[in-house]
Amino acid sequence: MDRLRQEKILKFEEFVDQRLKPDLVRAIAERDKVFEQQKIFSDLRRNIENLEKSSVTSLKTLVNIGSEVYLQAEVPDTQHIFVDIGLGFHVEFTWSEALNYITQREERLKRQLEEYTQLIASIKAQIKLVYEGIRELLQLPAEKPFPERTF
Amino acid sequence: MDGMGKGTVTPLASLFPVEESQKAAKRVQDTIAEKEKELDHLRVFIADNNNLINLVQKLPEELHHDIMVPFGKAAFFPGRLIHTNEFLVLLGEGYYADRTSKQTIEVLRRRGKSLESQVNSLEAIIKDHKAEASFFIATASEAAGGLVEIREDYVEENPSKQDLKSGPLKQDVSGLAGAERETTSVDDKEFARMMARLDELEEEERAAERGNLDDENEGAISDFDEISYQRPSDNNLQNSEDIQRRMALKQTNDIATKFPKEHKYQDDMADHFGSLALQSQVRELSEGKTMAKNLKNSDASEMSTIYPEEKIVHATNTSKAEVQYQASRPSDDSQKCYQQASTSSTVGHADHTQRNSRKEDSTSSQVGCQTSEPSFDSRRAFTGSIIEHAENLPKTSGEQNSSSSLVSGSQPSKPVSRFKMQRR
Repeated sequence: MDRLRQEKILKFEEFVDQRLKPDLVRAIAERDKVFEQQKIFSDLRRNIENLEKSSVTSLKTLVNIGSEVYLQAEVPDTQHIFVDIGLGFHVEFTWSEALNYITQREERLKRQLEEYTQLIASIKAQIKLVYEGIRELLQLPAEKPFPERTF
Repeated sequence: MDGMGKGTVTPLASLFPVEESQKAAKRVQDTIAEKEKELDHLRVFIADNNNLINLVQKLPEELHHDIMVPFGKAAFFPGRLIHTNEFLVLLGEGYYADRTSKQTIEVLRRRGKSLESQVNSLEAIIKDHKAEASFFIATASEAAGGLVEIREDYVEENPSKQDLKSGPLKQDVSGLAGAERETTSVDDKEFARMMARLDELEEEERAAERGNLDDENEGAISDFDEISYQRPSDNNLQNSEDIQRRMALKQTNDIATKFPKEHKYQDDMADHFGSLALQSQVRELSEGKTMAKNLKNSDASEMSTIYPEEKIVHATNTSKAEVQYQASRPSDDSQKCYQQASTSSTVGHADHTQRNSRKEDSTSSQVGCQTSEPSFDSRRAFTGSIIEHAENLPKTSGEQNSSSSLVSGSQPSKPVSRFKMQRR
């Protein structure tokens, strides 16, 4: 009986350490990625709006060609912009189209973010639940000499 | 006499537990892996740099290049590179400079060089770590194989010898050292011994300068001496310099190697005889290392002998007079043991012949000296013998060190009279 309980506790702890905690770490990393995407697109949106406001038709910029070496570049026509839509595809948009796309994209990112937050919360809840289960298993036979475990 | 059956046997596993050494080896290997990751990183940097150099070289070949100009991280504009011979290069700390293609390439080359030097240093570090790891692994396997350390005290003979026959000699010593004898006599002796050795060396040097190069070995050594010691023969100045150097050397030796005194003298010799003795020293050290590693015959009580030597550092200026005395005395009589110590009186040819004779009976007489006298004199004699080995048979010096105690044990009484004569 005790042996069975001990095995169960061991199983639970293994589940937490091998499964739930790595899941949690992965989910948090994914969420950080989404955060980054969100920031990129909000920056892009702000930049395009600035361009629109000042009605720029051509611009000069410095391009980083690696190792902090910059070269001057010229954009003769700023009407067309290629936006990354994922999986390595870029779509040629006008400014309004681009802004439209960016809004949709941002919404989607927000939803993803919420999903990940949910996921993280549920993983944390599961971890807590398992710990609670272990504690119960330990506490019920209080008179039995079980090895002290630290959580 | 003694020296036989005086030793302790310790299993290596008790000094270096197997698991501990394995753990250490694992840790070192982890560091190696880490460093290798860093190295890969650097290699990537170097490859990038080389690509960039090629690119920068090619860019000015045309007036402009059509590219997609990045606009943020997720967007591009169709555009082109203009002014293809103007580069803005980061110098560091947020400073940029306008450079042409050629100048940029120079900058990049310099960066590449620094990267390569980093790679080299990292490779050296990895090599070091690998050696360390292999040592740990070897130690672990040796400990697991039940290797045993045998320690045999070499210096323990000295006190017993002193007990045996130092009644009158001690008095002599006290007459020399005077009031300081209680506290510093040992130190003074050490110091005097050092000075005597310095004088030996000077004498050799002088002899070498006179050009007596009959003997093959001596010729080589005197060459070294001439190269390394073309200083004015102001004895005091030179001595003091030498002593300082020797102190530093000694202390480093004490700390780093904790080796037998013989080894230390070997080191000193190496200092004086240049590369010839240096080779022997290296050999010596490597031998010593293997000795220490296999722990076969290293002396436990070297530690105890080291301390009085360190005291010399404090007691250097106490006994100049005695030093002079000690240094000049050997030339009067008993040249067999102390010809080399003669300060200036010995002329080249005489010195040479003496040296030859000394070589012949060096082993026996000096071994005898070692046994017959209290610790100070025996050590000095021993120093002489070490000089001999550095000159004549550098290869066998390590063996001589290990076996000397036994030899001394076998011939305890023969040369006492000679030393006593010298004393008077």
